[in-house]
Amino acid sequence: MVQFKDIGNGFSVFLCLCQPKPQNAVTIAVSSRTLFNMVAERKIFVDEGVEKYVAFQVEHENDPLKPGPAFPFVKALMNVNTRLRNLYPDSEELFDIVLMTNNHAQVGVRLINSINHYGLTIERFCMTGGKSPIGYLKAYMTNLYLSKSADKVTEAIEEGIAAATVFMPKQENDLSDTQLRVAFDGDAVLFSDESEIIVKKHGLDTFFEHEKKFENQPLAQGPLKCFLEALGKLQRKFYAKNERLNCPIRTFLVTARSAASSGARVLKTLRSWGLEIDEALFLAGAPKGPLLQKIRPHIFFDDQMFHIEGANELGTISAHVPYGIGQNAPLKKTLEFSLRILQYVW
Amino acid sequence: MVKMSLDAVQVMSGQVKELKVSPSSNGDARGSWEGKEEFDPNQLELTAKPKPPKPENAVTVAVSSRVLFRTEREQKVFEQKGVEEYLRYQIEHENEPFAPGPAFPFVKALEAVNTRLRELYPQSEELFDIVLVTYNHAHVGIRLINTINHHNLFIERFCMTGGSSPIGYLKAWHTNLYLSADAEKVREALAEGIAAATMFMPEKLTEVSESQLRVAFDGDAVLFSDESERIFKTHGLDKFFEHEKENEDRLLDHGPLKGFLEALGKLQKKFYAKGQRLDCPIRTYLVTARSAASSGIRALKTLRAWGLEIDEALFLAGAPKGPMLEKIRPHIYFDDQMFHVEGAAEMGTVAAHVPYGIAQKYSSQQKMSSGK
Repeated sequence: MVQFKDIGNGFSVFLCLCQPKPQNAVTIAVSSRTLFNMVAERKIFVDEGVEKYVAFQVEHENDPLKPGPAFPFVKALMNVNTRLRNLYPDSEELFDIVLMTNNHAQVGVRLINSINHYGLTIERFCMTGGKSPIGYLKAYMTNLYLSKSADKVTEAIEEGIAAATVFMPKQENDLSDTQLRVAFDGDAVLFSDESEIIVKKHGLDTFFEHEKKFENQPLAQGPLKCFLEALGKLQRKFYAKNERLNCPIRTFLVTARSAASSGARVLKTLRSWGLEIDEALFLAGAPKGPLLQKIRPHIFFDDQMFHIEGANELGTISAHVPYGIGQNAPLKKTLEFSLRILQYVW
Repeated sequence: MVKMSLDAVQVMSGQVKELKVSPSSNGDARGSWEGKEEFDPNQLELTAKPKPPKPENAVTVAVSSRVLFRTEREQKVFEQKGVEEYLRYQIEHENEPFAPGPAFPFVKALEAVNTRLRELYPQSEELFDIVLVTYNHAHVGIRLINTINHHNLFIERFCMTGGSSPIGYLKAWHTNLYLSADAEKVREALAEGIAAATMFMPEKLTEVSESQLRVAFDGDAVLFSDESERIFKTHGLDKFFEHEKENEDRLLDHGPLKGFLEALGKLQKKFYAKGQRLDCPIRTYLVTARSAASSGIRALKTLRAWGLEIDEALFLAGAPKGPMLEKIRPHIYFDDQMFHVEGAAEMGTVAAHVPYGIAQKYSSQQKMSSGK
């Protein structure tokens, strides 16, 4: 964070609260379109071309952009950082937010102005001017990458980086100012998609039998397991200072699995990884939307667009993890009937 | 790279034979989660499990872990030694199933009804759906799952809230009835408009039917509002009789459990439609302290106006409810007054307290004045 301290006689001193080193911090990379709402600007880019787009941005340099879908999430991360700094003033184990954008450097001024307008602490920028951000993500030791571009997210996941495509709901639920709440789907997000493969190929009953048989064998990990791990590590710092009841990070598992038939393997896997999850909801196929509406997470990760759209409809900010066998093309209303049949199976 | 440290629970758990603790691999390697071998489904013996219904179609009954199972010992560990010791204890005894709790026979009976409903209406989703809603931490989940499977229950939906209030989730599940051991939570649920009751474990349990679900209700402040009880408590019995006679044709307002009786009635009608009235696996009872001739008509007329049938109606005119209930042998009995709940429990009936209405104020006053 940059602060200017007035030392009188018209001089100011430039104070910099140091940013953590990437290897110590939990690094979250966000794209400009997830941090801010740039729908109108995007339209200009798509319809009228890059020159008009850049000109527009430069013209409106001093107009702050409106918040985008990842904005509440980033604000919540900063809040956790404040609490961490209170308890551990010398530690570098904090959240570090990097802005990773394809945008041209000219647009940078508007982005910086917007960031300062909202009082965000984002000191690290990568304006790649069109190049792929994947190399930079690795260099920053990124723990999570959020973008609007499904292609970039898919590339990131293939390179082993936790990533998701974020979607903005039409009306947003009120979210907590004091506690970061993150909800995860189970299969193909925290865990691998091995179980979903069995359901899709052999049906639900085979799946239940398989899960019972292999109850004590942990599932393989999925793309977002490491991010949950990073969250858990920070949570334990609060527990160590007796702040368990007041912990500003809360994690949720919201899975379509059935508890008695297939839940034990999930819980045992989490335990064998040494990961705790605060709340576990086994839905046995019930729709996720209403429960997420009660949970009010700052972000919800799922691998199936069906659930993402269901969550969005009821005001939850959702992020799609394009991994595993559950990938369908984004559904239109006319396809809803066939998707209901798919859900019947799963 | 950020290295993950083992926390105490994992070390203590003793369940972990080999630690699959892989360091964070972000960006280091291609996703290590690819490339699992195919498996052969013919190795497994398959038994078909029915699919759980959608919440809005089903009659959803939410139970807490403390009423479904007997967890007094674990509760003591939690209260005396704190949460970490409690979690450790649960993990240690993970493969020991809990003993059945007060709501256990009720849940078994609900499943018996479901089996009959599925036989008659194989495609319908109008069934009972049981959700386990508990304050418990996810670590305890495994013991709960093991116990559920040991007793052959069919509970697939869990809400493990890890300490935060479960009331918000009840609405999302379209809960028709919430049973808990904690009076505070039950009061909260009632305030949100959800039928709820606090359950107590009786010292001895009378045997109940395995093939027919029997539910008994008190009248005032349970099925009906507490307006009549107010008159009785402020002006006395005679005023109460007069008032009821005068207002015979005016319907009573509904009470917290009217919705649940309605849901039961809807399922009963499905059996009647298939000519199974004599063999219906759901039976409802009204067990009220009202006097039939002096104040009974208004109750019956109200039920009729609501389109609700009750199978058996017992007007006790003040006689103790315990002996009657012992004969009825319901799986659960709802009453708003602790006096009646305790009387029923003494004689072996599983009774649930509905903390609604004016009787709550009076009972706490009595307790204070008698120095209990």
